[in-house]
Amino acid sequence: MLLNYTIDGFENIQHQDYYSLQKIINKLTTLYRLYGYHQISTPTFETYDLYVHEDSIPCDDLFKLVNHQGKVLVLKPDATLPVTRMAAMNHPNPDEIIKFSYQTNIYRNFSSPEMIKKEITQIGIEYFGNDTPECDGEVIGLAILSLLEIGIKDVHIDLGHVGFINYLFEELTLSSFERETLFQYIENKNIGDIACFVKPLNLSTAAKEMIAKLPTLYGEPKTVLKEMKAFCLNGKMEGVVEKISEIYCHLEVMGLAEYVSFDLGFTNQMNYYSDINFKGYINNWGEPVISGGRYNNLSEKFGIPRPACGFAIDLIKVIDYMEQENLLPVDTQSRHAIFYDDDDKAMAYTIANDLRTKNEISEVFMIKTDWGFHVQSLRENPLYKNAIIYFLSKGKLCIVEGDQYLSLKSNEIKREVD
Amino acid sequence: MVIRFALAKGRVAKKAIELLTELGYVFDDYSEKSRKLIFTDTTGTIEFFLVKSPDVPTYVEKGAADIGIVGKDVLLEHPAQVYELLNLNIGRCKMCVAGYEDRPLPYGKKMVVGTKYPLIAKTYFNAKNQLVDIIKINGSVELAPIIGLSDCIVDIVESGNTLRENGLSVLEEICDISSCLIVNQVSLKTKRELIDPIIQEFKTQL
Repeated sequence: MLLNYTIDGFENIQHQDYYSLQKIINKLTTLYRLYGYHQISTPTFETYDLYVHEDSIPCDDLFKLVNHQGKVLVLKPDATLPVTRMAAMNHPNPDEIIKFSYQTNIYRNFSSPEMIKKEITQIGIEYFGNDTPECDGEVIGLAILSLLEIGIKDVHIDLGHVGFINYLFEELTLSSFERETLFQYIENKNIGDIACFVKPLNLSTAAKEMIAKLPTLYGEPKTVLKEMKAFCLNGKMEGVVEKISEIYCHLEVMGLAEYVSFDLGFTNQMNYYSDINFKGYINNWGEPVISGGRYNNLSEKFGIPRPACGFAIDLIKVIDYMEQENLLPVDTQSRHAIFYDDDDKAMAYTIANDLRTKNEISEVFMIKTDWGFHVQSLRENPLYKNAIIYFLSKGKLCIVEGDQYLSLKSNEIKREVD
Repeated sequence: MVIRFALAKGRVAKKAIELLTELGYVFDDYSEKSRKLIFTDTTGTIEFFLVKSPDVPTYVEKGAADIGIVGKDVLLEHPAQVYELLNLNIGRCKMCVAGYEDRPLPYGKKMVVGTKYPLIAKTYFNAKNQLVDIIKINGSVELAPIIGLSDCIVDIVESGNTLRENGLSVLEEICDISSCLIVNQVSLKTKRELIDPIIQEFKTQL
């Protein structure tokens, strides 16, 4: 019956989930605040022009609309670009340190599969103006801490660096088509097809073997670092090895190294990362929940060259996981429902207000029928699962316990609550 | 922790189960006629279930299965965010354009293509700058050119017998197809100690 009134890819958040979502958002916002991040917000609409030249988001994935001046707008498909623009507009000094956090919905008009979520609820941080491994370490560390903070233990961060492959490919003479195809194969760890694809190419055997091995450069950080050294063909690649080993050291100091593994098979296809990038996983959950990295070239678009690093968490995926594992914070606060006779209205409102000043949830209803009927209908309503029910009639207050009505003095409610 | 396989029902699953048995995994509760949906090996380290082939990438992408074995044709037609680690030596065949040998394909004109693989067909012809009308057909694709529904078909060709019996032949080869071993992107990292040895064993079979 509702079929015509719902859209695939968009959904309601029920009250239980919304409560959990808010709790989680509060915890994370507090965490970021304690690390010095300022919370900000950017508009839901952006101009199409902002994204049209951005390779990271295909234009077909944008929700477009036209405003009354004929300008093409899009629903914000990403948080990083607007936050970067905001930093560039309000803080023109490129050396300034700027730390922003945000919580927002983003929208992607994915064409398939039909049921995929198109409204994505994100929370994240962006750290501008600092290009050191300490900054990367702080951002990765906060990504780990975010999940730990909300009670998830099986956290994995997979850290890569897009430069490693880019600098390796600089040494090889390949057409842009060959390069893109290989990048895609490497990203998908498609070892079989890489072997077939490089066979007819005009490359040395050593180079071919190296390309075929790139997808296997992942796993335990120290082992991978050793393997990486054998790949270095130029100073830039050595620089990458040095940089990620420094970040790893930083995470060791933070006591978070155990959560990190490396994967040098990440490329910068379909994203704006220029340096390190990482994904956050939770054990037994098939999709990444965190995505982040360094994007030192993005701010230049807005006239201010400025290094930056950040991440975003997909909150709905996190909540789905926590629900499955029974980790969600549950609303356990009881609520008071006071039914009153018309004559006792003033007293009912006084009692309810008193309760509210003590942070107790209280609601008042006029008695319309039989008391038993009111009790039964409230008990059947899942929204009043933990409700304490009172009746106020002729100046006397009764509390409902089981099927009994026990009389109570109004000051006794307060005492109970205290 | 158990490693879960999603196998594409039919030929591919049969070969894959043979391969797993060769690798030393024993499934004593499995028989082709069994109505059970999920089977565990005697050591309890791996289990598998059989699903329709286009569902395999979905199960693996979502992490409901750690590893999947499915034809490359399915991966090309239903792209999924998975690692396509190995091309296995099972289910080898070719994706081809087939039609009548004495009737050249109407390049540069309107061309109608009947196929089970609309995405593959469209990508192939568009790369050759040929616009095509695609008619999606779910089975007996060979029928389409015979009764004049389409100029040609795009389909998997293994021996070519069906084509020959119906007077059709391969006009163009699109790509090689074999079964692929695909792995969930998170499982490969978080269950590495368990998945790596399995992949190595599959590699030795190649």
